[in-house]
Amino acid sequence: MDTSQLLKGVLDLAVLAVLRKDDGYGYDVLRRLRAGGLDEVGDASVYGTLRRLYSAGMLTSYVVPSEEGPHRKYYSINETGRARLAESRETWRSFASTLDGLLEEVAA
Amino acid sequence: MNTQALGVEYYLTGMRAALDDLPPNEVAEIMEDVEAHIAELSSELGENETLEQRLGPPEQYALELRQAAGYPPRTERLPVTTKKQLLTRPRAAAWGLAAATGITLLAGAAALREPAILLLPAVILVLSLALVNDRGPAQQEIMNLPETIRLKKWLTPEPGTPAERAITYLRSLQPAWWLARAGLLGLGAVLLAGRDILGFLAIAAVAVVSVFAGPRAKVDRRWLWFSLPASALAVGLLLQVIDTTADQLAYKSSPSSYSGPILQTYENIYVYDENGKLLSNVTLYDQDGRPINAREGYTGCFEPGNGREPVIPANRYPRPQVDYENGRCYTVEPTVTAPSSTSSTAPPSSGSATPSSVPPTSVSPSN
Repeated sequence: MDTSQLLKGVLDLAVLAVLRKDDGYGYDVLRRLRAGGLDEVGDASVYGTLRRLYSAGMLTSYVVPSEEGPHRKYYSINETGRARLAESRETWRSFASTLDGLLEEVAA
Repeated sequence: MNTQALGVEYYLTGMRAALDDLPPNEVAEIMEDVEAHIAELSSELGENETLEQRLGPPEQYALELRQAAGYPPRTERLPVTTKKQLLTRPRAAAWGLAAATGITLLAGAAALREPAILLLPAVILVLSLALVNDRGPAQQEIMNLPETIRLKKWLTPEPGTPAERAITYLRSLQPAWWLARAGLLGLGAVLLAGRDILGFLAIAAVAVVSVFAGPRAKVDRRWLWFSLPASALAVGLLLQVIDTTADQLAYKSSPSSYSGPILQTYENIYVYDENGKLLSNVTLYDQDGRPINAREGYTGCFEPGNGREPVIPANRYPRPQVDYENGRCYTVEPTVTAPSSTSSTAPPSSGSATPSSVPPTSVSPSN
């Protein structure tokens, strides 16, 4: 099964999750997602997701100048984002366990 | 390195083109992220690897980003905007900034005499910033103007050359310049304080804000609309202070001495003590110890030789009266009729007050 299709629905959740502890700029977030095992996540999808979460008011951003190259825009999760993260996590958990249950039955 | 930079530029241009139907401020924000991404990625690329191999073509990157960000699918641009416009808003804003900075430099050199002159660049700055304020802190469109790229290239010489070392060194001095700038602006404000309270407040405010503007402009290029003209104003003020000081030094060294303020309105001064006695040979000085001189030429009597009246020093009062008669000037005894007639506190008007210590000095005829 194509994981990229699955990923589309949960990329929001994944991005919020990796920003939960530390702020990060785009490439940071991408690295954390990949380090966390989401190898197939597309660069552009992560940047687009960051934009959307920002526009939806779940992230704030600030710019940090860089000695060489363009400035880095850091994103940090705010209260709205945390609330969404908690809510989505519950949704995901119940969804995953439902699906697990279905798959168990198939296996059995 | 160079081909890599070219690759980055090419890729970003492609992305901008693929996003150009979105609102400009939105594109500016997206490109801020993407530029950092592409730059970082390109530095990780292998010898023969291209950005396209890693990311796919820019159009595909843009498409994926649009979908993830929830932007509408690309619509065709209106034909009007596909034309290459010469006078775009970013260009007008960039040139407005450059012009205002130039004018401020010139105006700064006159700002202490006429601070209101600074209103002109201030208006230009506000208008030009208003054109591009919604394009975000990076002001990428301005950075991508051909003239900006040329300027940037000019300011970044080949590494290792003396010019490059000089510029790197100057860059390292930037924080010191921010402080020096605030100091110069503060000095300008103080010099204005006595004469023009509005000018004082304006320049003092610029001085205070300029301390923050320096570091802020590194993060948000919109602060350049403040920071650059503030620098120009500081330099202009510095030039003016140097100019004024040089003038004063020239004054001091010149033989035709400027020996203190001149009381233009008085022809003579009579000083009386508490008993109403006319004091003679009184020399007057101001708070700085400079002599207070009555007007030269108060009699219309000039010695042709040096053009000056025969009364030295000029701040000794009462000055002898000089009469002009038959083409000759004579110094006669001071009379005290004039000062006595006006007020109740005036001294007695008797001619006997004429002091004996001032004998009628006869001055050589002035021919």
